[in-house]
Amino acid sequence: MVAGKQDALLAQMRKGTLQYCVLALLADEERYGFDLVRSLAETDGMVTSEGTIYPLLSRLRRDGLVDTTWRESSSGPPRRYYRLTKAGRAALDAFKGEWGRFRDAVDHFVERKAG
Amino acid sequence: MGTTPDKLVERYLKHLEVELDDLPRDRRREIVDEIAGHITEARAGLEHESEADVRNILEGLGDPADIAEDARERFEVQPTAPAPPYKPGWMEVAALVLLLIGGVVLPFVGWFVGVILLWLSNAWNVRDKVIGTVFVPGGLGLSLFLLVFVGSTSVSHGGTVCEVDPSTGREINCTELPSSEPSTDVADFLKFGVFVAIVVAPLVTTAYLAYRLRRQPSAATA
Repeated sequence: MVAGKQDALLAQMRKGTLQYCVLALLADEERYGFDLVRSLAETDGMVTSEGTIYPLLSRLRRDGLVDTTWRESSSGPPRRYYRLTKAGRAALDAFKGEWGRFRDAVDHFVERKAG
Repeated sequence: MGTTPDKLVERYLKHLEVELDDLPRDRRREIVDEIAGHITEARAGLEHESEADVRNILEGLGDPADIAEDARERFEVQPTAPAPPYKPGWMEVAALVLLLIGGVVLPFVGWFVGVILLWLSNAWNVRDKVIGTVFVPGGLGLSLFLLVFVGSTSVSHGGTVCEVDPSTGREINCTELPSSEPSTDVADFLKFGVFVAIVVAPLVTTAYLAYRLRRQPSAATA
């Protein structure tokens, strides 16, 4: 039962932070969905169902954190490219600060006991 | 009859579309289109596409139900709750009464209103509604009409004469006749059968619908 709760907590943490990982991936360049998913999937443990990225992207677009443009692709149908908006960049920067403090605080306790 | 990759993809996308039913239309479209694009991109990157490759792509995307759950959470959409067990109300009672005797009170119109209520109600399924409509159009009003205008006010069958109560269409005051009128007339016998049928059928139908009404909610909660 404890393991189940822990899994659920980790899943929630992953879900909550995933959008900032997506925003961070878009910080330097615009990307299309499949490319984003591939980059996220390269890091183990971040995405369990790749398909869930797309509802997230749709939500970010509606919240005005990302913008999209269609571009022709040399290898198939046109692709929808995502890029960060000003609001998206501000949200990412704010999260970076908070996350750093949070991570250090958790590490402070967890790492001390473990080590 | 093997499943081709195209079939697998088609089935997956259809499944996804159904699962995303709770989302607003434009969001559902956007997500399904993007995932369809993802699959196209992934397949284009394969050198020799096999069924296993396509299955792996779809598995990587995840179960449509999981994607839909995630999407509902992202968009703060409540999943549509299954309909609560139906409690029969005035509409069902009115439908039953009007179906049976509405045609007697207000010829045809009364029964017709009953049919409308029957079809508006959620308490019966389509099969029940068809039964309620077909057996018998007009309800007892039709029986009455036939008895009064086609059959004459007294029905003679066998050795019995009955009067018909014009308000209910039921046969009343039946009296045995002396054997002066033999009961061998086949036409009379058939007529009797038809009359019984058109009187009994609406009663049976009403009883059946009432029974279904009482059964359904308990079946739904069981």
